[in-house]
Amino acid sequence: MSALRSCQRALQVRAVGRSLVSARSMATDSQSAPPAKATDDKQIEHAPPRDIVAADLVSGAPAELRHRAVRIFQYSRSTTQSGDAKSSRWRIDWDILPGGGRWENPLMGWASSADYMQGTRIGFRTKEDAIHFAEKQGWDYYVQQPEVKVRPVKNYAENYLYRPNKLRIIRTK
Amino acid sequence: MLRLVSASKPASAALLIKVAPSTSLAGRRTFASTSARQADITLTVDGKEVTVPQGSALIQACEAAGSTVPRFCYHDRLAIAGNCRMCLVEVERSPKPVASCAMPAMPGAKVWTNSPLVHEAREGVMEFLLANHPLDCPICDQGGECDLQDQSMRYGADRTRFHEITGKRAVEDKDLGPLVKTSMNRCIQCTRCVRFANEVAGVEELGTTGRGNDMQIGMYVEKTMNSELSGNVVDLCPVGALTSKPYAFHARPWELKHTDSVDVMDAVGSNIRVDSRGVSVMRVQPRPNDDVNEEWISDKTRYAYDGLRFQRLTVPLIKQGDRFVSASWEDALAAIADGLRASGAQGDEIQAVAGHLADTESMVALKDLINRLGSDNLTLDSVGGHAAPVHAVDVRSNYLFNATLPGVEQADCILLVGTNPRHEAAVLNSRIRKSWMHTTLEVGLIGERVDTTYGYDYLGADAKAVADFVAGKSEFAKKFKSAKKPLIIVGSAVTEHADGAAVYNALAKYVEQNKSQLVTPEWNGFAVLQRVASRPAAYEMGFVPSRKASQTKPKFIYLLNADEADPKSIPRDAFVVYQGHHGDLGAQLADVCLPGAAYTEKGMTWVNTEGRAQMGRAAVPPPGASREDWKIIRALSELVDAPLPYDDVLSLRDRMWEISPTLVRYDTLESTSVEAALAGLKTLAAGTANAKVSGAPFVKPISNFYQTDPISRASVTMAHCTRAFVKGENYGFSELSSKPEAAYA
Repeated sequence: MSALRSCQRALQVRAVGRSLVSARSMATDSQSAPPAKATDDKQIEHAPPRDIVAADLVSGAPAELRHRAVRIFQYSRSTTQSGDAKSSRWRIDWDILPGGGRWENPLMGWASSADYMQGTRIGFRTKEDAIHFAEKQGWDYYVQQPEVKVRPVKNYAENYLYRPNKLRIIRTK
Repeated sequence: MLRLVSASKPASAALLIKVAPSTSLAGRRTFASTSARQADITLTVDGKEVTVPQGSALIQACEAAGSTVPRFCYHDRLAIAGNCRMCLVEVERSPKPVASCAMPAMPGAKVWTNSPLVHEAREGVMEFLLANHPLDCPICDQGGECDLQDQSMRYGADRTRFHEITGKRAVEDKDLGPLVKTSMNRCIQCTRCVRFANEVAGVEELGTTGRGNDMQIGMYVEKTMNSELSGNVVDLCPVGALTSKPYAFHARPWELKHTDSVDVMDAVGSNIRVDSRGVSVMRVQPRPNDDVNEEWISDKTRYAYDGLRFQRLTVPLIKQGDRFVSASWEDALAAIADGLRASGAQGDEIQAVAGHLADTESMVALKDLINRLGSDNLTLDSVGGHAAPVHAVDVRSNYLFNATLPGVEQADCILLVGTNPRHEAAVLNSRIRKSWMHTTLEVGLIGERVDTTYGYDYLGADAKAVADFVAGKSEFAKKFKSAKKPLIIVGSAVTEHADGAAVYNALAKYVEQNKSQLVTPEWNGFAVLQRVASRPAAYEMGFVPSRKASQTKPKFIYLLNADEADPKSIPRDAFVVYQGHHGDLGAQLADVCLPGAAYTEKGMTWVNTEGRAQMGRAAVPPPGASREDWKIIRALSELVDAPLPYDDVLSLRDRMWEISPTLVRYDTLESTSVEAALAGLKTLAAGTANAKVSGAPFVKPISNFYQTDPISRASVTMAHCTRAFVKGENYGFSELSSKPEAAYA
């Protein structure tokens, strides 16, 4: 199976423009998009796939932007709080520019940046929307794997379960 | 009153149906049960039907339905306490609101999480919580990421009924050590920290005394919280009672730029979020990932970041006489090219040493460069790293943690050989402890006696104990034989030990004999626990010397992040280049120092002990003239007339894919097939067949958990931890916190 997959990748790398595929290969989201739930009729239907015209032909965006891969990701939940706000939307952001992209202003100590995308991030409802937008702009992108969640079933009664063997925890609560 | 509220139910429920779809997202709030699959039950939460496994807490069902329930004491990874009462919800035919965390979800129940009754109940709870909570949000470090602050915006009263003449409750601050700062007036007694210490960290001293208003959290006697996971209580605390001492008053959460990255302090590859402001890293937070680190990170991961500010190499340095002189990049690279020529190093006399914090890209570039110069002398920065490791690197399963990190929890019998996972992979150790507490897991240990936070059968300290185990001489060995999913965890120090070959030989034969349990398509119970972030990737790409090269005396040595090198192993007349980010041991030995980037400053690949490739991302730019490491090697390759064929990181990753596709298949695991794993064990056994046993006992490789690499050795916080926890000295904060002005802090 893995041999087959590597063959497939080999073909891809040779067939398609190299830099584009390499960036895609950074995609950490290996499984394809989760199928939209058909049962949930209230959910907004996604737009059907459209023909893509690269927008940067007319958008006036600097040509250098095409050389920076964008990241499509979901915010991971903050561990300092129990809420998971903001973690459902998909975002696009840019990696920082290495070298000279950021410096401390010698007079005030504030941070300055030569990177005009450092404060920009774009939010989307779904991953597909974000991918579509990036493709439309002609940006190279990679999708970062969303948080892997495994939640065991929890039960208050577990605190009082009888365990026949030697007691392994002393609760001091 | 209840009837009145119930009468208004249809309206509010109808309102919620409309709201529910936007808050519930397909596929995101699903449950995966690790325990045996139980029957599912269906109930209605806020008018939305939801199916959860039987036995779930009601709060989990509400979460699954997309209705967030406010809480303070409930936490997904801790036992249920049920003492904050913030998660009250209304259940049909229940006379009172019920605490949804302590209530099992019942089939067919109708639950409302947002009704007027619920609101009133939660407002009452909040009023009681705030009665004894100081109003110091403006000077509290939790401000901006405080659950109490956020939830009081919704459920807090807009005027006070607090007219106590005696004032608010006052509680003495505790001294938990140099990492966790306490401000116990703010404590709302959720006991998350106590449960974390009990269940995950294995610190059974942290507990509660007194009841009701007089309840206090503390260590009972004056004592620091000695655990390598203690920093996690700072995250768990829903208020500002436990905050981070090194980070105190340094930044506010809304000023910070978050960058998802990967930790390099050990080989677990914990997912972290680097919070930076301007050009400096302000703190490191865990990023939840149930496949790797769950939600915890070790204290070294969390607090060693201040080492990134000290002892940095910022400009290229050339040694003139007995002192370093700063130079331009051109001069430094030219000096290396001259040095290589002048040293007369040919073929295998050119040696490269890859250290603990070398990233995968730079190691690939360095290997390619050294190979192009005609050498095969690729050395690892460890004891015995100048020769190929005993387990060889031809088969992945011989040097990786095949059972996977989450897989550890499935094991029902674990043998630890020459390892102390508590210090070599603290997060993994918490998984073993979790499994040990909740199942009948048995653990055996061969090696130096250590406190692992769980009980174990001690089998011996040397290779003879391994032989006895293989022969089935102990009670534990018999239990291990009959286990369904046994697991052998071999420490990375075994390879460096004189008896390493003999131990590997014995274990490989044992695994082969018991392959029906140990190597099956579902389970590979032979796991090597690496402790160094760069090591799995180095093995993966074959960064090991050939037999001939390992016997050559080097004349030109390239140290890539190599700071553990024995100075005696470097010949006096050799020309030494050090490339790295800290002026540590390696830089002292060098003739030319090249400043590289630390792990928070480059977006590079890291392979963890399972063989999982993960991408770290750059949070801040590297300081001064330092550059990304692979670029330095690429530039150097031009000057030594062996130009490398990649100009950008993407084509370098193509090269990595040519070497091994797993290096660039991010966040996935490629498991080794049974046939390949058995073939690997066979070659391992054959390669170590005539190993001799010296009988020297195994020694734990990490004597000081807090200082293991250049970053943590440069860190002031880690030095405090060493004093407090390793040496047991007074670390200098106790007097500070007892001064009167500190009471306001």
